[in-house]
Amino acid sequence: MMLRAIYDWVDERLDLTPIWRDVADHEVPEHVNPAHHFSAFIYCFGGLTFFVVVIQILSGMFLALYYVPDIVNAHASVNYLQNELAMGAIVRGMHHWGASVAIVMLFLHTLRVFFTGSYKNPREFNWIVGLLIFAVMIGLGFTGYLLPWDNKAYFATKVGVEIAASVPFIGKYIAIFLQGGDIVGAVTLERFFALHVFFLPAALFMLLGVHFILIRRQGISGPL
Amino acid sequence: MSKKVSRRKFLTYMLGGTAGFLGAGMLFPMVRFAVDPVLKKGGGVGFVDVNLPVNQIKDKPIAVEFKVHRKDGWYEPAEGETLTAWVMRQNGKVVALSPVCKHLGCTVNWDSNPQFKNEFFCPCHFGRYYKDGTNVPGTPPSKPLDKYQIKEENGKLLIGPVIKA
Amino acid sequence: MAHNPEGNRKQVHYVGDSRVRADRPKRYAPDYSEFPGKNEAFIPDFLLKEWMVAAVFLVGFMTLVMSELPPLGEKADPTNTSFLPVPDWYFLFLYQLLKYKWASGPYVVLGTVVLPLIMAAALLLAPWLDSGKERRPHKRPVATGLMILSVIAVAALTWSAEAEHEQQAESAPIRMPKATKVMAVDEQGYQLFKESACIKCHGDQLQGVNGPHLIGVGNKPGMTTDKIIEIIDHGRGGMPAGMFQGSDQEKRALAEWLMKQKQK
Repeated sequence: MMLRAIYDWVDERLDLTPIWRDVADHEVPEHVNPAHHFSAFIYCFGGLTFFVVVIQILSGMFLALYYVPDIVNAHASVNYLQNELAMGAIVRGMHHWGASVAIVMLFLHTLRVFFTGSYKNPREFNWIVGLLIFAVMIGLGFTGYLLPWDNKAYFATKVGVEIAASVPFIGKYIAIFLQGGDIVGAVTLERFFALHVFFLPAALFMLLGVHFILIRRQGISGPL
Repeated sequence: MSKKVSRRKFLTYMLGGTAGFLGAGMLFPMVRFAVDPVLKKGGGVGFVDVNLPVNQIKDKPIAVEFKVHRKDGWYEPAEGETLTAWVMRQNGKVVALSPVCKHLGCTVNWDSNPQFKNEFFCPCHFGRYYKDGTNVPGTPPSKPLDKYQIKEENGKLLIGPVIKA
Repeated sequence: MAHNPEGNRKQVHYVGDSRVRADRPKRYAPDYSEFPGKNEAFIPDFLLKEWMVAAVFLVGFMTLVMSELPPLGEKADPTNTSFLPVPDWYFLFLYQLLKYKWASGPYVVLGTVVLPLIMAAALLLAPWLDSGKERRPHKRPVATGLMILSVIAVAALTWSAEAEHEQQAESAPIRMPKATKVMAVDEQGYQLFKESACIKCHGDQLQGVNGPHLIGVGNKPGMTTDKIIEIIDHGRGGMPAGMFQGSDQEKRALAEWLMKQKQK
């Protein structure tokens, strides 16, 4: 009752109802509804990808409570948060395995869109936005892999940077830019951390926003 | 002036120009800040005494670890950064090879793969090098291993920076 | 209205107070009234079903999280020359590509730039390369075929990269660690080791005599107690099968003790 009164008071001034009514009341067709056709579960991959992204954002925020992006302390801080804190292994596990699961779900979602021809006119633009999201997610995976600063992380990044360095002409500069210097070291870890928690998530949020608005504007592609 | 710029057009141009100024004004320092490492000249590394008498160097390559001081951003450990060189004699001459594979920067090891005796072997993509550092044709690397500059002083070996090809 | 005081021109309607014409034709269907079938409202009907799928998914996901600890290796050591670098699994296909002669050496640009760029461009331009109205996959065999082919290629490359990495990790000799003292010397495993044939080849201090040294064997990637038991049972390389004569329990104790040899 109280809540209702508060909502009415705000709604009277801001006219909120139409905004969420548009989302709430739009009709979802039968052909994407797994309750009607089981095979429609393939339309769930996009939503599940978003769900994993939410898990990643939340677990990442909580990991940042303890993680230190510094080559002297990073490994010790990960070791501490995983082994000495209650549920540490679970929270880090969610972030670690979630990264892989997100890529898998994203891949399946892309394949669904491709094989149902949903990228065709008029949805070309959203297909491109989706591919950009894919690229950003790969970037998040690559930068996040370095952060625990164990041997696996260090050498994988070294090889990754060398691959970038083999691009003709500009490769050398890309490598130095990524490393922030001549070697994979203190500055590299700091950079990858900043990219992983600020730059790439910011890009991801913008792209996801566009992706969802376009879906709402254009609707889901019709049945095959 | 025959072409008339309407008031609306003019204001739109002004808006675009101001947006450009605001964006550039904010971002220029930030971008310059971010790319600074690319534009900076790397500090050179001097010669280091690796504590190895020259007469102990034999034909078989041995891994020699030595410390150099290098500034990695703000990080400059007092004990220095450890590098490795494969040191050996070739036709009587001392040679120090860099262990960094020329394919994708993994680390090569001497004689580590039983299939390829007496070769440097890179485990990442199976790159191989002969003892003198020359890449085995048909394996992934396209260039021989880098050599370190070396000096001999008082019968001891000094290792310097990698010779840039 | 102010634009048409006389009303002799056609009335133009705009959306809100913008300049967007209200009668602009729409290119898409905002809802599905034109699709026959059982449509339902997004909230709450459809979202509930999506969340039920998500609930099943979450249970599976948390089971994975709880059954597999997230791996954390040794602190990064740039001087470690025997570490086998391997990227995260979704980069493995690219990594594997660079092993092939035609995508490495002088042609490395082909593997690191050209092929990835072609793949990215093909994906980006898919809506224009495959611009027909037809959406069903079997009615556009070229697009479908190319995609299936790429997926198979990526899967095969990933699989062979994984297989080769495992083989490599297995056969790579262990680097002699700096600390060479035998660990857990008061355990039954060390007694068993000394009393059996192991000691003849691997040495009383695990230093290796005729066979390889076993110092730090517990650090080997992929090494487990069961793996060691398998090697003891079936032999490997120059090591014959069935060299250990004790009971299964003793064999396990021996293997567990060997796994404790984590000298650095």
